[in-house]
Amino acid sequence: MPKEEKKQITIIEVGDGAAIPVKSDQGLVSAWWLAFVGAILCMAGLVIFKSDPYWRILKFLPDGILVTFEVTFASIGLAIVIGLFTGLGRISPNRAINLVASTYVEVVRGIPLLVQLFYIYYALGQFYAIPAMAAAILSMSVCYGAYMGEVFRAGIMSIDWGQTEAAMSLGFSRRQAMFYVILPQAWRTILPPVGNEFIALLKDTSLVSILAVSDLLRRGREFASSGFQYFETYTLVALIYLVITLILSRLVGEMEKRVGKYESR
Amino acid sequence: MSPDDPIIRMEGVSKFFGDLKALDHVSLSVASGEKVVIIGPSGSGKSTLLRTINQLETIDAGRIVVDGFDLTAPSVDICQVRTELGMVFQSFNLFRHKTALQNLTLAPMKLRKTPRDQAEREAMALLEKVGIAEKADRYPAQLSGGQQQRVAIARALAMNPKIMLFDEPTSALDPEMIGEVLEVMLRLAREGMTMVVVTHEMGFAREAADRVVFMDEGKILETGHPGTFFGNPTHPRLRQFLSQIL
Ligand SMILES: Nc1ncnc2c1ncn2[C@@H]1O[C@H](COP(=O)(O)OP(=O)(O)OP(=O)(O)O)[C@@H](O)[C@H]1O
Ligand SMILES: [Mg+2]
Repeated sequence: MPKEEKKQITIIEVGDGAAIPVKSDQGLVSAWWLAFVGAILCMAGLVIFKSDPYWRILKFLPDGILVTFEVTFASIGLAIVIGLFTGLGRISPNRAINLVASTYVEVVRGIPLLVQLFYIYYALGQFYAIPAMAAAILSMSVCYGAYMGEVFRAGIMSIDWGQTEAAMSLGFSRRQAMFYVILPQAWRTILPPVGNEFIALLKDTSLVSILAVSDLLRRGREFASSGFQYFETYTLVALIYLVITLILSRLVGEMEKRVGKYESR
Repeated sequence: MSPDDPIIRMEGVSKFFGDLKALDHVSLSVASGEKVVIIGPSGSGKSTLLRTINQLETIDAGRIVVDGFDLTAPSVDICQVRTELGMVFQSFNLFRHKTALQNLTLAPMKLRKTPRDQAEREAMALLEKVGIAEKADRYPAQLSGGQQQRVAIARALAMNPKIMLFDEPTSALDPEMIGEVLEVMLRLAREGMTMVVVTHEMGFAREAADRVVFMDEGKILETGHPGTFFGNPTHPRLRQFLSQIL
């Protein structure tokens, strides 16, 4: 049966984002709650009972958090656009487009993100210098665009070929079938892994502190080296990253639960 | 195109899947309003034949002309031709993210720019016709197999096709649901629709078919009126096949 053979399995590799809470992990004393409450209590305790230097450090960091979010949101937005086209390219019947998209994914996945950052900022910067912020966003989105491409490809392929055939038999072109029938179904499979990529990306933005981008980690570094308070500063920086990703992973988990089936409208 | 010309004309059509010859110089003509039933053992090329008519499978040799459009001509707008060919699949293939009603209105609204209220009115009339109007707001997953297949038939009719293609429309159904789908198909046949139907429902073939076609190994081995076809089969392969299924 040809139609059956074309059916794909609905398993999508999730990125290395913070772990999504699983069902058995939802009790009052779950690992998530322990980490979250622990982190909050730790931060509150340090700031209240040892406000010098912790309160001073905490006041210094919000600018960095803002930059971290700026880089994250700009990069994920671009990465989603790149990923959509890459995913479409990877399943395109056109050999040339397919090859370009696949090669992009292959190349980007084979080079560490830090090297990509250096390459775009320093190496290519020798020919055409761009601001550190732009280089950071460009590198992050090019890198995550490739991973996102795989998420989109898997999501699109999870919709069985019969849906496309039904659309085409009504007179839709392949492209229209993708737009009206496949993508509106695929997003349910795509959304949770995109959430995970988002979390992974947020953590990876700490790499851009190596360029002159004042993200959370870099702000911390600036503070730490000015007063040699490495332990205090990096403790707070780590706790802030932890709280942010814990919150985000909970959101992704909730989202995954809501993205249900069509019968339960 | 003169009125006597067949609405579907296949001439010497061959189709390969790798080394496998799925269709071997098949020629078949279907007149407007005619009902042709295709039978044959599994893997004999029935689905492939049906799917070449709306070009879900391209062909490697031969010619197919549908309603005056030469499908092998490079200039042919296949999407346009497909709007004249409704297709019903064994596995229904209803759009899972759309309600029954939306399954029917999607193509007319997007492809013909039919206004929503008109598209919905026509869709409701079609759902009425297949006896499932009260389920218009249900999603496919909320419908039984027989109900889904009736919606699928209505969806194919929503583009007002001149020809309906059915690929084993009842094979995936529980026995008690086969009747409701065949009934809709019989109604359609009586209304004069041109139909090409791959099925193992010999009752339907006897009642509705003007012609029955027997395929084996990518070839049409015998074709005839259902009466003579079932009553007096000549080809030994056909006799063997009929003795197995009847
Ligand atoms: N997409 C495909 N790729 C490779 N081989 C195919 C493909 N589609 C069909 N075939 C092969 O072509 C031959 C004819 O297949 P087809 O589906 O037309 O048979 P059929 O008569 O409809 O059989 P069934 O009663 O099982 O549906 C079979 O041998 C089948 O395995
Ligand atoms: Mg078949």
